[in-house]
Amino acid sequence: MDDLTKEFIAESQEGLDRMERCLTELEMRPDDGELVGDIFRSVHTIKGTTGFLGFNRLEKLAHTGEHLLGSLRDGKLAVTSELISGLLSLLDGLRGIITLIEETGGEGTRADDEDSELIAELTALNGTSAPAEAVHHEAETVEMHPGAATHEGPTVSASAMGNGDKTLRIDVDVLNRMMNLVGELVLTRNQMLQSNMDAANFPELARRLDSVTADLRETVMQARMQPVGNLFGKFPRLVRDLARTCGRDVRIEFSGQETGLDKSLLEAIKDPLTHAVRNAVDHGIEAPHIRVLAGKSAEGCVKLRAFHQSGSVVIEVADDGAGIGIERVLAKAVEHNLVTPEQAAAMSEREALQLIFLPGFSTAAAVTNVSGRGVGMDVVRANVEKVGGSVEVESKMGQGTTLRLRVPLTLAIVPALVVRSGGQSFALPQTALVELVYVPQREAQSAVEKIGAAELYRLRERLLPMVWLDRLLGLDSQWTDAAHGFYLAVLEAEGCRYGLVVDDLLAPEEIVVKPLSSVLREIGLFSGATVLGNGTLALILDIAATAARAGVKPMEEETGEIEIAKADDAEDVSFMVFEERVKERTALPLDVVERIESVLLTQIEYAGGRALLQYRGDLLPLRDDGNVLAEMEAGGQKDEEALVTVLICANAGAGGRHRIGMVVRRVLDVSSGRMLEEDTSTEGMELALVKEKLTMVHHQFGAKAAAGWKEVA
Amino acid sequence: MKPAGQNAMDSVDEMQDENDAVSLCSMFAGSESFGIDTRKIREVLGKRDLQRVPMAPPFIGGVVPYRGEVLTAVDLRALLGMPENSATSCVLVLEDDEVAERFGLMVDEVGGVVTANRNMLETNPCTLEARGKWLFDGAYKMQTGLMVQLDPKKLRPSRLAETGLFRQGGTGQAGTGAMDASTDSR
Repeated sequence: MDDLTKEFIAESQEGLDRMERCLTELEMRPDDGELVGDIFRSVHTIKGTTGFLGFNRLEKLAHTGEHLLGSLRDGKLAVTSELISGLLSLLDGLRGIITLIEETGGEGTRADDEDSELIAELTALNGTSAPAEAVHHEAETVEMHPGAATHEGPTVSASAMGNGDKTLRIDVDVLNRMMNLVGELVLTRNQMLQSNMDAANFPELARRLDSVTADLRETVMQARMQPVGNLFGKFPRLVRDLARTCGRDVRIEFSGQETGLDKSLLEAIKDPLTHAVRNAVDHGIEAPHIRVLAGKSAEGCVKLRAFHQSGSVVIEVADDGAGIGIERVLAKAVEHNLVTPEQAAAMSEREALQLIFLPGFSTAAAVTNVSGRGVGMDVVRANVEKVGGSVEVESKMGQGTTLRLRVPLTLAIVPALVVRSGGQSFALPQTALVELVYVPQREAQSAVEKIGAAELYRLRERLLPMVWLDRLLGLDSQWTDAAHGFYLAVLEAEGCRYGLVVDDLLAPEEIVVKPLSSVLREIGLFSGATVLGNGTLALILDIAATAARAGVKPMEEETGEIEIAKADDAEDVSFMVFEERVKERTALPLDVVERIESVLLTQIEYAGGRALLQYRGDLLPLRDDGNVLAEMEAGGQKDEEALVTVLICANAGAGGRHRIGMVVRRVLDVSSGRMLEEDTSTEGMELALVKEKLTMVHHQFGAKAAAGWKEVA
Repeated sequence: MKPAGQNAMDSVDEMQDENDAVSLCSMFAGSESFGIDTRKIREVLGKRDLQRVPMAPPFIGGVVPYRGEVLTAVDLRALLGMPENSATSCVLVLEDDEVAERFGLMVDEVGGVVTANRNMLETNPCTLEARGKWLFDGAYKMQTGLMVQLDPKKLRPSRLAETGLFRQGGTGQAGTGAMDASTDSR
């Protein structure tokens, strides 16, 4: 195949993707002339180029389509559901031929009859002479079409994926920047080769190398990043077709399309996501009349949402349908012998919901050709976990189901914590790490509590199962009770939370994941290996597999507690306690505080009577309720070295963008406390009990900060 | 001597490359010497400290970084049921072209390149125990003694894993198993 044809195929596929999006949009906004223009252009471009390349079959079909779209553009035809269906089948036809060209190099003639049927259909849609007949014909196609479309769906997407794997469009600017950086890398290398370790400029060179590498990495990652919107693009069509086959009325909404995700990951979650959307439409959303009976609008809604959250990308598929009936899930599970009736009876809601991820599970009352064949959520979960992600499901009976796919930003580089156990280094992915606990030697004995042979650690009054990494791996334990304490890495994966006992913590590092050979993968405990900064290798521990090996089960009551805590935010909240006014305990909710900085008094500048601090390129307004600054300025002005403690607080109410600095006398403690009732007399402040001491919290902090600010006075 | 010890099939084979000299890289494990065709060796890394992999089959000596990859290294001593070598092992990088699997081989010492004639190769003796038959590819009669030929194809970790012969607790592997426990403790 020559380059010209290849380019044509890539271009046409893009054009058709755009057309698909526009068509589904057009159905919602029939009067949008621009959309029609867009669609027209896509088809027109294909027609023009095919004529030139000599693909007659494609040209004929595109021509018919163009003609029809021309009438639509000129306002001779109105947008109807039938018309859209017709245009969608035109799209499928065009796509089919293009796929054929891509695979075989020729457009083929064997399916000529199909074309003529399609062409006749399109002509009928366009024709004004026999409206009655046209309607009849259309009705037929409408019935036939969705089935055909779902059949075609997989093949089309499969081939599109094959193509997408190989090529990637990159902004030339990004490419230029990469080249620049590579040049810089070469220059730095030359200098390093010429100088030796002892050279005076060596540290400087190393630093430069560091920054160039970081820049280069970022640029390459950026080039690999694709907006999630590319993936979302195909869903309106999917949902539309599905909704018709299942007799549902469904609207699809998106948000966060611009969220970037590594290309390989985007490919990896494509199928799970498609499956999730299908499930939402087929199992989730009820038939219109049932919805109306339930007091909901007849039209169901599937929301696709993508956003960043703590270093990973979360993609949510939420429907406002019937929700998952726990009883039905349990009954089904018992029926399929997945659990025993006794187990089922003892299960909590969350545990029961996890059952849908078991292989061979489907609750669809009727097996439709869309979903409900038992190939289900287990595949979704397996696929997502393969790329280091996780799946969560939340469901409220009668209100809908939310499926959350959580995937890492990139596969290649993972932030990890390097630990030592039994004389070896292991890397724990930061995503699974909840917290670290150091148990000093003097407490080592008392900290470990036992139930039978199971060892537990009491962490904030919750029992945490302890897993000794060296024992689990059969390593010789280098840790002895007398020597020193141990570290407990609290890990969470697949709903399991446990404390991994390790001998020592090394530095957190951004590790480059290298795959292991099949023999070592079979061990099942390591997800890869990495070369550490000091040149040695460390194995990357598979947190979920380790939990399974150690026999840690998902802890339902644990998550239950978290939910309760969320629901009832008047309960325990973590506070940072500090002294602002003399002898008064003041606190801020811990999640508001980003950093604690010590800055020189001289660094604080004043403008218009307000104290400001230049902080990471931003001007940070300072709030000084305790008049700390004034006192210091007045008292110790001679002291150039005087330090001021500033809490850098993110204003959660404004999406973390607006920061503010709090000037405090000293930071006292971090602990959890209980909110008391709001005290109306102390405008915008709340009382809280922190460590049994009365502390006050500012509730309001400027108009913008309403939600985020709770400050204790 | 030449035709004496060979059966009919081998002699046909031998006849074809009668004059073919083979260059072998010699290496040692314990008191035995081994040779691998130099064309099948990608690189000799020299003495390397390997990162052990807990729970791995006993014949896996560890992993070693090599040109951006993490190679699994097969421990020849463990394969032969010899006790652990106290000194640092030498690592060679081998590749099986057919399945494009690259892996490391741990030996005590790497000698040098020796040239041998193909017709000096003897097939495995019929009295060789099963493990030896699985691993060895005959032996060259060198002046200094026998040099056992190894074939990277046969040493591939995934191939070794497929057979139960070298797995812990496999038939007659009690010794290796015990040795492995001590291995991990080091």
